[in-house]
Amino acid sequence: MKKLRYLLALVTLFAFQFTLVSCTEEQNFDQIEDLSLTPTLSTGIFYLESDEASINQAGPFNSFYFQEVNFDAFNEEYVSERLLEGTILYELENTTSKQLRVTIDFLSEDGQVLDTEVFNVPANTTDIITRDVYYGPGGKSLDILINTSGLRISGNNLSDSTSVSSNENPKVILRSGAEFEFELL
Amino acid sequence: MRMVCKIVLAVVFCCATTFAQNKQLLYDFYEIPQSLMINPGVKTSHKWHVGVPVISGISVQGASSGVTVNDLFANDGVDFTTKVQERLLDVMGNRDDFGSTSQIEGFTIGFRGKNRPDDYYSFGMYGEMDVISYWPKDLAILAFEGNGGNNIGRSFDLGDLNVRGEMVNVFHFGINRKVNPDLTMGIRGKLYSSIFQFQSIKNSGSFVTTQGTNNIFESAINADMQLQTAGVKGFYDIVDEDSGTTRKDVERLFSKRVLLGGNLGLGLDFGFSHQLNQQTTITGSILDLGFIYNAKDVWNYTFSGSTVTDGISVILPDDINNLDNDLWQDLIDEIDEALPHGENQEAYISWRPLKLYGSIRYDFGEGGNPLSDNCGCAVNPGGGINRDYYRNSLGGQLFMIKRPKGIQPALTGFYQRKLGRAITLKATYTMDKYSYTNVGLGTSLQMGPVNFYVLADNLLSYSNIADSHYASLQFGFNIISWNDN
Repeated sequence: MKKLRYLLALVTLFAFQFTLVSCTEEQNFDQIEDLSLTPTLSTGIFYLESDEASINQAGPFNSFYFQEVNFDAFNEEYVSERLLEGTILYELENTTSKQLRVTIDFLSEDGQVLDTEVFNVPANTTDIITRDVYYGPGGKSLDILINTSGLRISGNNLSDSTSVSSNENPKVILRSGAEFEFELL
Repeated sequence: MRMVCKIVLAVVFCCATTFAQNKQLLYDFYEIPQSLMINPGVKTSHKWHVGVPVISGISVQGASSGVTVNDLFANDGVDFTTKVQERLLDVMGNRDDFGSTSQIEGFTIGFRGKNRPDDYYSFGMYGEMDVISYWPKDLAILAFEGNGGNNIGRSFDLGDLNVRGEMVNVFHFGINRKVNPDLTMGIRGKLYSSIFQFQSIKNSGSFVTTQGTNNIFESAINADMQLQTAGVKGFYDIVDEDSGTTRKDVERLFSKRVLLGGNLGLGLDFGFSHQLNQQTTITGSILDLGFIYNAKDVWNYTFSGSTVTDGISVILPDDINNLDNDLWQDLIDEIDEALPHGENQEAYISWRPLKLYGSIRYDFGEGGNPLSDNCGCAVNPGGGINRDYYRNSLGGQLFMIKRPKGIQPALTGFYQRKLGRAITLKATYTMDKYSYTNVGLGTSLQMGPVNFYVLADNLLSYSNIADSHYASLQFGFNIISWNDN
């Protein structure tokens, strides 16, 4: 009988070990609601390159490139609902002998111009022209991007159509990319 | 997205609060019949045993080699996103994992051969669920930080996605033979009845965004990824259909799969115990050397290919006549084409997580049962050295398990003490990737024919179980007939 009591005591001891002895600090699993995911996504947008011959071929004081392209990257519902802020980066390089003007129009679905970026590019630039356009609080309205459904890109020659640059392989290059912050959660 | 993230975190931490595979307390604890399940060649001294159905062996174990539940969910007033960033993203590597295994014994029976008293036969059925997910470090950073900012130039490893899980019912039959007074060997055959299985363990590829050679940014992706599932879609379809009989349909499908109605597999366990001298014993076992052939209800998802993009590109004069104004959609279509994703129903083989145990044990401290009073000797008149003669045992154990990213070892030192014939205690200290402070304690109580055992790991963490990297509990009831009762 004494042995049985001893055994029961041991069993009880173990029961206590796993019920009373084990404890935990207060946990709050509702904190998961506060999780915020705001990644910054970077991507190339548009790259335009033209040699000097193509500019000359278009004639003096004329457009050597004009194109409207559908561009629904920002107004996709998933993107537009989560876009917090962003910057569109532009770089221009012109080693031709022409003074050029590059214009980018942001178009709404019904063709309205929402915003315009104009770049007047001197001939034979040795430095890369950069422009960072910020959209969001304190910058341009995010609505421009959210409602953009197309881009109209035009390149205009503001010079003659005969001069030829002495630079090796002269060309004009427009680079653009975007860095945007999204709120995924 | 929020729901997906919640589910992922919930699964991760449910896993972290259940169970891992090492059963160092049970190993070579031959007073407990379930020790046969992790070494078919363990010393057996019973005449027969019957596990009390369903409660003869229950084990739950959870492991997380990186973050703990408390690290993230403690009510400490720290912003949750900050905790995730500092305690999860900044700390955990892609070899850290969340592991979980739970096991429940349906029934187990063992008996000594009438004509061959050297043989002890055992058979039964148990269910097991095993899930392991490695921390997908690069994918998590991509989701939290994106590919921009400081991550320009960083290559995100798509192979970080590595997860495997299964639920299986196991029917088994084993023979344990005392080959000679010093050597006992055993083998166990297993028939696996898979309830479901999924694995995504051979992924490779990368995603990187760099300063472009043409445009400002250039993104390159190459991927060879696959998620294989068997038995999952059947359950998913029932739940998705939501016909009003969902619960019954799930139970019916579950029962069918438990009773060999799903994918089947075969496996073997081997083990031995060899007494080097009167006081020293070495043991070893290999478990779950087997596979499941998944051919039914298979649904695999694939994603492979490679592409580089820097956005819409127009180069004059080459594109002067290209008046297509759908350049953006063309770009999306090109990327889609370069990165085909698909589904297939191809059968596949899934390997069981192979486990290996080894131990050396030194018995000392005379004062136990006399040499002639050997429980095993009564059925083995040839006799042998009586391990029960010694009260104390000291030794070391090695455990290794094959995981998707390699072998995972654990080293254990143990001390075992018998208190009379009714009580045996075992204390262990284990080092593995989950913990360097894992102290475990187990006991086997023999009350007449009734055997009760309880084994618990990582006791030092019990003051705050949520802060534990590892927790394990096993217990069960058996009816044992010794040779003299």
